[in-house]
Order: sequence, then C-alpha cells, then structure tokens
Amino acid sequence: MIHLQLFSTFETTELLEMAISTIEKQGIPKESIFAVPLDNRKEGRKIFDTLHLSDGTSLIDIGMGLATALSVIGASIGFKLSWGPIYWGLIGAFVGFMIGFAIRLFIELVVKKNKRVFKGKISEIILIVECEESQAGLIEDILWSHLALGVAKVK
Amino acid sequence: MNNYTNDNTSRRYKAHVSIFGTTQLHLRNPYIIAWWSAAFPGFGHMLLSKYLRGYALFIWEVVVNVNAHVNSAMIYSFQGNIDMAKEVLDTNWLLMYIPVYLFGIWDSYRTTVDMNKVYLLADREAHRFNLFSLGALEINYLDKRNPVLSVMWSLFIPGLGQLYIHRILTAIFVIIWLVVFFYYSHVQEAIGLLFLGKIKEATSVLKPEWLLFIPSHYGFATYDSYMNTVENNKLFEEELRSYLMENYQTKGFQILKGQKVK
Repeated sequence: MIHLQLFSTFETTELLEMAISTIEKQGIPKESIFAVPLDNRKEGRKIFDTLHLSDGTSLIDIGMGLATALSVIGASIGFKLSWGPIYWGLIGAFVGFMIGFAIRLFIELVVKKNKRVFKGKISEIILIVECEESQAGLIEDILWSHLALGVAKVK
Repeated sequence: MNNYTNDNTSRRYKAHVSIFGTTQLHLRNPYIIAWWSAAFPGFGHMLLSKYLRGYALFIWEVVVNVNAHVNSAMIYSFQGNIDMAKEVLDTNWLLMYIPVYLFGIWDSYRTTVDMNKVYLLADREAHRFNLFSLGALEINYLDKRNPVLSVMWSLFIPGLGQLYIHRILTAIFVIIWLVVFFYYSHVQEAIGLLFLGKIKEATSVLKPEWLLFIPSHYGFATYDSYMNTVENNKLFEEELRSYLMENYQTKGFQILKGQKVK
C-alpha cells in the first residue's frame, strides 16, 4: 500500500471544517489528518476589516461617533437654513464620518506606520491529509472544492 | 439544546452562545463606550451586553428628555438662541435629568475598564464555552458574517444589522424605538416632501425634539452591528483554531519526506 500526503492551506472558515468532515466520511481516520493554525504576520495586516480578516482596531469607531455628533448639530441648525434639517443632518453625518475615518486612517497609516498591506487571501491554516494513492484524487477534489488556497501532493 | 453545559469548572468564561445572541467579552475602548452613553444614555451599556440597565437608562432618557424639552433646548443652543433655550426648558423635569445622564457615562466607562480585565483573565483561562444553541424559538451558532453587510442593513433600518448577526435583544429594542421616533418626528413625511423638492414644507412638518433622537439611533445601531460582527468573527476563528489543535494534532503523525507529485 503506497501512502501519500496532501498538503493544503486554508483561511479560517467553516468550509475548512466541512472539508475535514467530508474527508473523514471517505474513511480517512482522524489520526491521518493534521492541522496547524498559523500565527499570521501582525504588522502587515489589512487596514480594512473584511469577512475573512479583522484586527483589533475598529476603523469606524471615531467616524460613527463624530457622524452622530455632527448630525445632531447639523439637524438643529438646519431648521434655520434653506435646505432644512434632514439634508443638513445627513451632511453633518457624512462630514463627521469622513473626518473620523480620516483621523483613524491617519493613526493607522502614519502613526502606527502600517504601510505594508497584504493583497489577496492569507493562508491561515495548514492541513495535511494522509491517504492511499488511490484516494488521492478524490481528497484533492474535496480540498479544492472547499476553497483550499493551495494543494500539493507528496509521495 | 446546547452543546456545552456549564459545570462551573471555570472561574471565568469569555463567551456564551444562547438563543438570544452571542454574548462575549472582548477588549473595548472605554472612551468609545462612554461616548455612546453620552450620545444616548443606555447605548454604552447595550454595547457591553448589559441590556436591562441599558433599557432602563434609554427609556429614562426618552421620558425625561421629552418632558424637560432638552432636545429643543439643544436645538436653540446650536442655533445660538440661548434665550429661547432657557425659555423652553421645563425646570420641573430638568434637574433629575443631569445625574442620571452623567451616571450613564461614568458607569459604562467604569464597567468597560473592569470588563477588559475580566476578559484578559478569561482569555488566559481559555475554558470551553457554549457555542451552539438550538431551541424551539431560535437557532444560534458561531460563524462568520460580513461586517460591511451589517453596516449596510443598519443604515437602511437600525436593528436589521443586529438581526443579521443574531443580537435579538438589541435588534428588537432598537427597531421598536425607531418606529416611535419615526412616527413622532414625522421624518418619513418630510423625506417624501423632500423627494418632491418641497424643502420648506418638509422642514415645517418635522417635530424637532423627536427628530434629534434619530441620528444617535442610526450611529449606535451601525457601530454596534459592525463592532459585534468583527468580534464574533474573531471568536469563531479562535474557537476553530483551538478545536483543530485539540483534535487534529496526533502525536504519531509523521510528515512524508517525499517529493511533490502531480
């Protein structure tokens, strides 16, 4: 019986658990699956929080706070202005948000000097699956269809 | 049905997934929480998942503000009309407004500082917590959601972003009060008139003291749903990583020192 190992990397999503579960259903025992969660590079993190990636700082915290404050003031003064309170409230909210957002971006980009920004997806978990050669094609398909970022077979 | 029953073997837990939502401790900036309490009493506490006192402070704010005419006084003050601001305030209601308003800011700040310490201890302890809840009323589990979508739905109608990430207690409260504020401020009528280009009439149908509640409602709902989406995602990732390390790192596993094949 010739054994073979499939190396793959994933992002941290529920698809990874689906992949493992599907592989186990094909008869691969738990002991033949090895997972290593990576510590990802901290200084190069993305500035914008996305579905897949977010760090501690919230980009919109100051923005939403200032938006609320300026919106209240804008709406109040707007009762006296020709455009009325709704337009001025919205203008206040927008201006406040942009100012707050700019302050936060300034802090992130200039003060914290986070200039290296990752492009694209990041490998967060290494998954190694050991199987017989005859199963390799099937396992590889399962890995790819659960959005593995990269797959390699080693014999 | 939960997948974990608290057997009190931990001193602290950092999260709990229940039918009503995902409650979690995480690091928060006390100034940001204090700011939301200043924008609207109760919001700071609701951000901390301390709902009962959040609700109490919020309802207090609406009742006392409307009766003391604090919002009207704010509008006059921002317009530079200090005399009218003095005139409109009802002194029979005003004095009790101040201590509770300041308490809300102080208490949410203090609680945040304390809960940050509790979080650090709970995080180091890293005890198991409930992460799946299936019941007759609702289903809640950890997974990943998109923070941008939370913001988008919150901007349409505050509360929808909370429904998206399963924060039922905030969602219901925010939506109920949004309806109240929309109705009494006549803002939808005004927006209809704005679409027709009738700016002056739009301004005149508005009830200013009710309109002024709306910006903070939108701001809070957006911030709350965004922040919690990000934190829920982080919790999901942490949990999955520790699950993998516990279950998929067998001692006997050996790496093949072969060659890469097609």
